[in-house]
Amino acid sequence: MPVPTPDTLKPSKDFARQVIAFAVARRPGTGTVYLGGSDFKVCSADVTAAKFEPTELHAHESYVTGVALAGDRLVSGGYDGKLAWYDTEAGKVVRTVEAHAKWIRKVVASPDGTLVASVADDMVCKLWDAATGKLVRELKGHKATTPHDFPSMLYAVAFSPDGKHLATADKVGHVVVWDAATGKELAAVEAPVMYTWDKVQRNHSIGGARSVAFSPDGRLLAVGGMGKVGNIDHLEGKARIEVFDWAAGKQVAEFPGDKFAGLVNRLAWAADGSWLLGAGGAGEGFFLFHDVAAKKTLRQEKVPMHVHDFDLTADGRELVAVGHNRVTVHTLG
Amino acid sequence: MPRSHFCRSADHALNRRAFLGGLAAAGATLAADMTQLNALASPGVNAALKKTQKRVILLWLAGGASQLETWDPKPGAVTGGPFRSIQTDVPGLRISELMPEMAKRMKTTCVIRGLDTKNGDHGSGAKVMMRGRRDEAGLRYPDLGAVLAREMGRPDSTVPDYVTFYTQTEGRSFAPGDAGFLGARYAPMELTTGSSPEYIKKLADMTDADHEERAALRDLVGKGFAAGRSSETLSSQSEAYGRVRGLMASAKLFDASGEPAAVKARYGPTQFGEQCLIARRLVEAGVPFVRVARAWWDSHGQNFETHQEMVPELDRVMSALIDDLGERGLSNDVMVVTLAEFGRTPSINASLGRDHFASAWSCTLTGCGVKGGSVYGKTDEKGQKVVAENVDAGSLFATIYSALGINPEKNYHVGSRPIPLVNPGVEAVKAVLK
Repeated sequence: MPVPTPDTLKPSKDFARQVIAFAVARRPGTGTVYLGGSDFKVCSADVTAAKFEPTELHAHESYVTGVALAGDRLVSGGYDGKLAWYDTEAGKVVRTVEAHAKWIRKVVASPDGTLVASVADDMVCKLWDAATGKLVRELKGHKATTPHDFPSMLYAVAFSPDGKHLATADKVGHVVVWDAATGKELAAVEAPVMYTWDKVQRNHSIGGARSVAFSPDGRLLAVGGMGKVGNIDHLEGKARIEVFDWAAGKQVAEFPGDKFAGLVNRLAWAADGSWLLGAGGAGEGFFLFHDVAAKKTLRQEKVPMHVHDFDLTADGRELVAVGHNRVTVHTLG
Repeated sequence: MPRSHFCRSADHALNRRAFLGGLAAAGATLAADMTQLNALASPGVNAALKKTQKRVILLWLAGGASQLETWDPKPGAVTGGPFRSIQTDVPGLRISELMPEMAKRMKTTCVIRGLDTKNGDHGSGAKVMMRGRRDEAGLRYPDLGAVLAREMGRPDSTVPDYVTFYTQTEGRSFAPGDAGFLGARYAPMELTTGSSPEYIKKLADMTDADHEERAALRDLVGKGFAAGRSSETLSSQSEAYGRVRGLMASAKLFDASGEPAAVKARYGPTQFGEQCLIARRLVEAGVPFVRVARAWWDSHGQNFETHQEMVPELDRVMSALIDDLGERGLSNDVMVVTLAEFGRTPSINASLGRDHFASAWSCTLTGCGVKGGSVYGKTDEKGQKVVAENVDAGSLFATIYSALGINPEKNYHVGSRPIPLVNPGVEAVKAVLK
């Protein structure tokens, strides 16, 4: 079945809830989604049901910012620095690990479901055995502090579609590609425009490279964030995406944004690589569809919330987005 | 009026006003021996003289730091944000996990959690929190620094009475140091381009000897001209030249490069740290009031990351300052205040920010006559309102004045109108005073 085009995007459902959802994972082939949010809880819900009724599975001790499904194991991570393994069949937490010294920003599962990767503000990416919870490898290379002597943050991680590579991205826009099997740093690219340091007016920073995604062939790496910001009190920089040929260390496309302000928090490619979807927001949210090969923006759509994460089905036909006090479902095709 | 001094030595730098005030307070027990000036300054004997030893460092958290991410955390509340609270060295007192160093030092510090100051506008809020009250039509009140310069400054001092650092540009114009009706004599030395004054260094091609000889010549000519004349203008000019020479001599105070490496390391590598170290040098040298503004906390977007970035710096610098003052025996003489124009909303906006909020926020007072380890004011479980021990700007200022040994009801006069330091009826929070 061909991948649907972005012009077919339509809102399907819009659920309001008084929780900021930071992470979503969907069980393939079902309407079941797992959510992590500002209520410190990991919940499940059925987005195909008429009524949206999240059920609490378990809780962290702070915001839950990552959920990843690896078979029957749902691995969640939060600002409490902990990773929790939840057995979705047995309906219980089977393992909790003091995984990171600082906020966990993202948790993802490898395409084959054998590994889970977590990134945190301790600036380490850790690879975990998804079944046993054993620490497999630590990927260290991001600097702990910014050039201005403030703590840096490690926001994003993604596996390549073949599972061989990982990309991680930090506050100053430093993006590293790692060999998942050896932990060796293979390449690094830079997106410094995504980091705004304001020395003159406000003496702190905002921004960062917030999302990464490999193209279906694994050759290209998209990086999402926000362009330079004039007034860093607000997320007023333009939503920005850069695409790199990571092996060559070369930027191949740049989408500086012209319609929406805010952070691009999540990126995903269509299965055939025909478009790249970015979502995020500031006071309001957006979907951005870009044709990377043609360096052309295909569609920019307003979303009624700041989007923190989304799940795009493998066929590209359904999009569940979560964010500030809402969960939405969109269809394509 | 020209000011006369009983003694010109630095050790006995007492002005006539202070001396007479001290004499009255000391009463008959000391009146018999007018030569024992040191006795007048002994602790517990003379509050009027003792107060001249007090100094204040104000850490001005410009733009409005969040009380929820500092002094009044609400972990687990829907408004609480992601940070945990941690236990401090004061039983029952918990503060944000972003402040582990201050958590070890809360026995030194009073937290006022009941600030309800009504004004959530940067400009007018900053003025209120620098002056303790709103200006009246036709009457501009002096700010805290100007009042303390007037009350604590020594006329023969060779250092400035009021220094303010505000290096970032955002918000600087909202709350410039302002002497109000006290006039330019008590206006601050404002540093806006860095950590040392730009224009007080003598010209590079002028030697110290040249400079001193020029000053001596100016004095000689001035005295010759003034002989037999009585003029406030002449006296004022002479005093102004004297102060300029003092300010030029104080340039070295602004250079912390000679501080031991361990001391500098404590304060950390940031400009805020450097300026707080200089503030310590200044108060140690007798400057009555130093404001170090740390801009800009106005976190409408990404409040938690902004505070993740900035609060650890505040934690490090503030704890270093408290330790440094303590080790130098200055804890009882120097008050450290953290304050801003307001706090931040408990509600979290779509940009993960917090907005302006003046209804239930916090500040701290450390040292001098303040009870360390005390907490005053209680906010509700979401931090949306003060439910006990409300404190407004006037009460806060009355508390600071009282802790420093200054009567808040003391009057200045504008023309014939008496103007008390705080508005009539405003009282200090006695519960936090020793």
